[in-house]
Amino acid sequence: MNPLERLVRWLGIVRVGFSRTLVRAAHTARKRTQVSILGVAIVIALLVVVTGIGVGLATSTTVYDDDVDYWIVPESDGERSALLATDQPQFGSVHDTAAQIDDYDDVDFASPVLSEVVRVQTNDTDEYVMVVGVVDSPGLERVAGISTEPLTHGDPYYADGGYDGEWTGDAVLSGSAASNLEVDTGDDVTIAGNDSFTVAGIDDGSDAVGDMPVAVVQLGELQTVTGDAEYDQADEFVVGTNAPGIEDELEGLYPQSEVLTRGELTMSTTTESGLPLALALTAFVVAVAVGTLFVITTSGLEVVADRRQLATLSAVGISGRSQLGLVAVQTLVITGVGGLVGALAGFGGIRVVNYVATETITTGPIAMSHPLFVPYGVAAAVLVGVLSLPVLLGLTRRVSGGVP
Amino acid sequence: MSPSSPVASASADDEASTSDAAGSPPVVRATDVTKRYTRGSEPGRLGKLLGRSEPPRVSALENVSIAIEAGEIVGLAGPSGSGKSTLLHLLAGLELPTGGTVTFQGTDLETLSRRRRTRLRLEHVGIVFQHFHLLESLSARANVALPLVELGVGKRERRRRATQLLERMGLGDRIDHRPGELSGGEQQRVAIARALVTDPTLVVADEPTGELDTETGRRILDEFERIAEDRAVVLASHDRPTLEIADRLVRLKDGTVREDGHR
Repeated sequence: MNPLERLVRWLGIVRVGFSRTLVRAAHTARKRTQVSILGVAIVIALLVVVTGIGVGLATSTTVYDDDVDYWIVPESDGERSALLATDQPQFGSVHDTAAQIDDYDDVDFASPVLSEVVRVQTNDTDEYVMVVGVVDSPGLERVAGISTEPLTHGDPYYADGGYDGEWTGDAVLSGSAASNLEVDTGDDVTIAGNDSFTVAGIDDGSDAVGDMPVAVVQLGELQTVTGDAEYDQADEFVVGTNAPGIEDELEGLYPQSEVLTRGELTMSTTTESGLPLALALTAFVVAVAVGTLFVITTSGLEVVADRRQLATLSAVGISGRSQLGLVAVQTLVITGVGGLVGALAGFGGIRVVNYVATETITTGPIAMSHPLFVPYGVAAAVLVGVLSLPVLLGLTRRVSGGVP
Repeated sequence: MSPSSPVASASADDEASTSDAAGSPPVVRATDVTKRYTRGSEPGRLGKLLGRSEPPRVSALENVSIAIEAGEIVGLAGPSGSGKSTLLHLLAGLELPTGGTVTFQGTDLETLSRRRRTRLRLEHVGIVFQHFHLLESLSARANVALPLVELGVGKRERRRRATQLLERMGLGDRIDHRPGELSGGEQQRVAIARALVTDPTLVVADEPTGELDTETGRRILDEFERIAEDRAVVLASHDRPTLEIADRLVRLKDGTVREDGHR
């Protein structure tokens, strides 16, 4: 047989295998073929959903939430939480910028945030506490896990840059800070050597990470005691808005800044730990392994059930190689179609996951869809088919031949 | 039809020398062929340790010798279980004998690998099974054209030859139907067309008219008579009209040849 005949033969085998599989799926072995396709589809759908969650964690999709929050932070290597980054580059003229952001349509609030770890003293105790300065405004409910409700709105001491307005001395302490300093609401505390602060509230239910002692004060007052008032400096901004489209404008405020969603900020540790990647990879390995075992089982049963037809092929002179080709085409068509169906079903799964998540545990979607998930699902399914082939071909070789 | 076919006899050596003297070997020759089947599986090592006995062996053919020439129609007659189908399978190279030899155009089939035996069937043997054994998922034309795929024949030529044969079988209007959509007689004709599509040297048919009505059966037998002009045809049947077209009738009983003669 010359190379051209060989090529024609293989094209013919692929053609026969393809049409044979389609007819089986539609007519002669409908249920068996559909179960095989369904099994692959389920595995691939789960893969797509878990991958969607992984990608969602990695990129954070909360930007689409109704209650979008952005953080504007100086460009950094991203290795630290913005709230703990006390020696990073800082922004200047932050009160003016916050006012500018406030003027954008659909912006609910905007506040600079200055974080400093400073010594806080009472009569009997002293403690290093992370003190966070903010401009409190309606909508800004918590900063660094501490409620800002007891603060006077609007940072009155700043007074349009004069730093000569009303000194409130408000300080809201986390439960751990109050406990360490042994203070209660109304007690006086000294922050960075300034003794004109009063405990305006203690947030026992704060969700600050761990037991870190945290205090929240007016931004202008903290700038004054830490020396950041000269250039009106802060570490970052927090912005509350319903308009995801504002991100571009926020990015234009400072040349060397990053705009992060609240989700991105919160999950930065998660992202850097590689959890989403690990999640997606684990899903891939599990899906491929489970899919391969499933395909080996269902297609193996199919091959055994088909042994009379294989024997017939052998009897009429169809070589073992061509029979293996037919089985391979059948397996790859089934897994390919299963992958396509599964990838599309995966999109539905992602919608369900996001719906359940937003209804129960999060304020925003946790999984992300992307058109590339379709070729990804199909490719994973075809890989499942390819990995199943050696076993199926071995089985075919065993059962074919003889008298039909 | 060939007027001087080598006749099956107890002395296969005599036959071989006769054919060799003539210069061309018969299309297929079985010499002192024995075929035994095992009922059940052989005991494994553990089975032997546990004293499991060897499974019983059943003899399907005992010392059968037969030679078939081109242009000859040979009818195999005999009751069920006499060994007709087994002999057909051996002649077609579907199985190998337990004892004796089967040679195809002078080549001992036992010396060929499984792959080469399959290739030999593709190129030289057409088989018509009693139960048709068509591929359910393929149309009548695709079933007929399947051996041509293996031979590397192009699609257009495959379709042309398959369509031509099906039309000759009276199935011109059924070429796109799948076997499940055809009657038993139509399926049988598709199976015959498949057996003939590669223009084989030897055609073996097991009860080729068993599922056909009288008129269709007659038509099929005419087809066998026509194709036998330049090839060997072996028909195993219980059916008298089918056996009547044979030039030579071989009667089998209990796995042995009881009668072999020209009609």
